[in-house]
Amino acid sequence: MGEEKLYFEDVKEGAEAPVKSHTLTRTDLVRYAGASGDYNPMHHDEVIATASGQPSVFGHGMFSMGLLGTALTDFVGAGNVVRYRVRFSRQTWPGEELSTKIVVTAKREDGGRHLVDLECSLANGDGEVKVVGEATAVLPSRS
Amino acid sequence: MSDGDALSAIIGKPTSKSRVVIERGPVTNFAIAVCDHNPVYRDSKAAEAAGLDAIPVPPTFPFVMETWGRFAEIQPEDAPRGNPMGEVIGPLMAKGGIILHGEQEFEYHRPVKVGDVLYGEGKVVDAYAKESKGKTMTFVVTEVAWRDETTGEPVVTTRMNIIHRA
Repeated sequence: MGEEKLYFEDVKEGAEAPVKSHTLTRTDLVRYAGASGDYNPMHHDEVIATASGQPSVFGHGMFSMGLLGTALTDFVGAGNVVRYRVRFSRQTWPGEELSTKIVVTAKREDGGRHLVDLECSLANGDGEVKVVGEATAVLPSRS
Repeated sequence: MSDGDALSAIIGKPTSKSRVVIERGPVTNFAIAVCDHNPVYRDSKAAEAAGLDAIPVPPTFPFVMETWGRFAEIQPEDAPRGNPMGEVIGPLMAKGGIILHGEQEFEYHRPVKVGDVLYGEGKVVDAYAKESKGKTMTFVVTEVAWRDETTGEPVVTTRMNIIHRA
């Protein structure tokens, strides 16, 4: 949980961050609605969601980005992300096990800062990608 | 005016001016909601041990910070009225279709922290339409540049890509 500091020298291109897996529950959706202020009923009201043709309530896209962001900061350290971008590709459904994948794609120095570029995505147990994107983090150096 | 002209006409138009206060309670609560139990989000001593001078926010918190920190009495009086994105998306929605959040980006110039007061100015940075699989996809990209209210230094820039599909 970000307690063991990751140094620039310890990261290799192609390395993967620890996978974070989470089975989505309706409670997650309610908690995210409350914490974000996004009360779109499609994310918490089963009656309205099914009446409009959805199989059930479904997750906020920003919950997916947030969960993936948690795995990102667990890896690089809170406060070290300098850029984070995703594209939303699929809805998430209660009961799905969502797993993160974060891969180091490049290491570089820029103006004295030690940067790592990462590819990141969140997928369900069948490998269906929910959000996909990239991030850049600044890491402390031992030098 | 064609639909394409209506779209290009909103590029560069201001969408918002606002001030937000970053408070500890909403930050801690938000961290839990994105399954983040790192103590730096709830314990200032843990934040200090991680090399931060205040409790930081999770990477996607800037998406919701206006919900909690947009105090009425500190809002700029010259905030734009109406939203050019609505001028385009409103008439499209009246004809049907759905709205999708296509992409989201955050660029952090320094960590956002509890105690910050940020001043943000938003604008439309792109707007265009294209055909895809027999559907018309209308894209509107907005950006908000947030600065430290006291020092004026850039803090975080958020970019959102909204799609209308019909």
